[in-house]
Amino acid sequence: MSTGTEQVTLPELRLVAATHRIPQGTQFYGLYARELLRTFRNPWVLVITVVQPFMWLAFFGSSFSAAPSSLVFGLFGTTSYIAFLLPGVLSTSMLSVGMFGSMSTIQDKRFGYMKRILLTPTGKSTVFLAKALGSATRGLVQIPVMIVAALAFGVHFSGDPLMWAGWVLGLVLLGLGFSAMFLAVTASSTDWQTPGVISNFITMPLMFASTALFPSANFPVWMRTISEFNPVTYSALFGRGIILSGNADWLYLGYLGIFAAIMVALGTLVAARYLRVE
Amino acid sequence: MTESAISAHGLTKRYGRLLAVDHVDLEVPSGSVFGLLGPNGAGKTTIIKLLTALSDITEGTASVAGFDVQRNPMQVKQRIGWVAAEVILDDDFTAWENLWLQSKFQRLPEWKDRATALLKYFDLLEEKDRKVGTYSTGMRKKLEIALALLHNPSVIFMDEPTIGLDPGTRRMLWELISGVNREFGVTVLLTSHYIEEADALCDRIAIIDHGKFVALGTPSELKARVNADLVEIETARPMDQAVLQGLPGVRDVRSQGKGWILKVDSSEAMLPRLLETAKEHAIRRINVEKPSLETVFLDLTGRRIDQGGNETFDFRKFYTTVRRSRQ
Repeated sequence: MSTGTEQVTLPELRLVAATHRIPQGTQFYGLYARELLRTFRNPWVLVITVVQPFMWLAFFGSSFSAAPSSLVFGLFGTTSYIAFLLPGVLSTSMLSVGMFGSMSTIQDKRFGYMKRILLTPTGKSTVFLAKALGSATRGLVQIPVMIVAALAFGVHFSGDPLMWAGWVLGLVLLGLGFSAMFLAVTASSTDWQTPGVISNFITMPLMFASTALFPSANFPVWMRTISEFNPVTYSALFGRGIILSGNADWLYLGYLGIFAAIMVALGTLVAARYLRVE
Repeated sequence: MTESAISAHGLTKRYGRLLAVDHVDLEVPSGSVFGLLGPNGAGKTTIIKLLTALSDITEGTASVAGFDVQRNPMQVKQRIGWVAAEVILDDDFTAWENLWLQSKFQRLPEWKDRATALLKYFDLLEEKDRKVGTYSTGMRKKLEIALALLHNPSVIFMDEPTIGLDPGTRRMLWELISGVNREFGVTVLLTSHYIEEADALCDRIAIIDHGKFVALGTPSELKARVNADLVEIETARPMDQAVLQGLPGVRDVRSQGKGWILKVDSSEAMLPRLLETAKEHAIRRINVEKPSLETVFLDLTGRRIDQGGNETFDFRKFYTTVRRSRQ
């Protein structure tokens, strides 16, 4: 053991007077970086993130490939069901990124790391925001992979770079909204199973009661009603307009922005109050 | 310096109907090592949680490092370090990355020199780029103390710092904890249910049972309180308390399970008489205890510290241990 403590330069502590709130930017950066590093260092997380939507396209997307093109066009307004499906699948996959964020939070509680974080001047809301944004960012990996996959299936794309940027932003907002929702619902949970159960509970209805997989024209009234309030619908319609016909309905993006803002605001409040330490 | 690094008045924590901490008063002078000694479930960890603002105080007040824990929890957290019983690190990250994360959580603009010096002090500098999942338990523990010291805190909380460690590693940690207290001038509050640990490390000790302080003082003060040998005796056929009380040199008799604890002036002098008397009751067990912190606890509570009281199986700790051992 060396005893050269004399040379140790003491870190400058940015101490804040009792009357001031402690800024959270640095802590947020550390937590967000940790989320991303943890994800991208685990090859399996990447593989699953990439493979899962790809399988959707390959298996589900091929279900109409032998149908006459007039039938496909009549149902979907395009002769390629894969082109119709792509924005929908990317939207539904944003549902599942929320689950991962919530699982990583529960892992931090179970292994005590949440205590390590919260025994520093880091607020519970900061932890929540870093987790929510971390999950949404993770979901973005799927976008380039899916587009390349769709190209490989022979899909032609329309739209200009601004629209595409808007489409990606819409997906980020959707992912952020769902991550925030998941984290808020599981804030006080420490059970590994909770995110999975909630995911099953939320994902199925939101996926099918939306225009992600099929147009709503043939839905029963009750399902169409859910679909009209479902952010997955707006994200799917927004992306579909852009890549199929080069038409961006920016109102959809506005709706997604409002959805994300409400969920993040609610989640921040819930986390500050109910985020369990262990 | 004589001001208190930690002070608490009437500190109380209720979980529903369970009274986990019961009106505790505490003063820990700056620069000292203070020990909370007691069996599992006595409320030691809860006291740490209350003092570090991790858990809400039900009643009473506490201030740590000059700030009120309830009014200014964040200011307290900027000035304290914490070492967990179960060693909490991010196993997917290297030691250096763990220090980097800690520097972000503590908002340190300059931390690398300090981190390097700490790694050197704890003999971990050469291993700094290894994932901590591959570290031995002793190394993990050392890194955890380095993390706790990174922001130069004025108080460090250590919850059962040597629980589950082999004797060699335990001794090494004792030296480190004393060293850290001496060389970094940091106040240490530790909890333990190991008598020798509290005796070896602490300037002052509070013995805690069922959420209450049952004794408080320096180790020698506490030992002097008993100033008697304790003899535990258990017989197959019950013995009469009055008979035991009547033996020469016996100061006090109290029941312990199916037997008795005798507080005696000198066990050597009275044992022959005791054996003689107890013979016809068929002696099952006899045990002599010289003055130590164990006898203090035994004397105050009629139980041994590591017998515990309401010990429960901790699945999370168990799971963590299993996970570690697989790596």
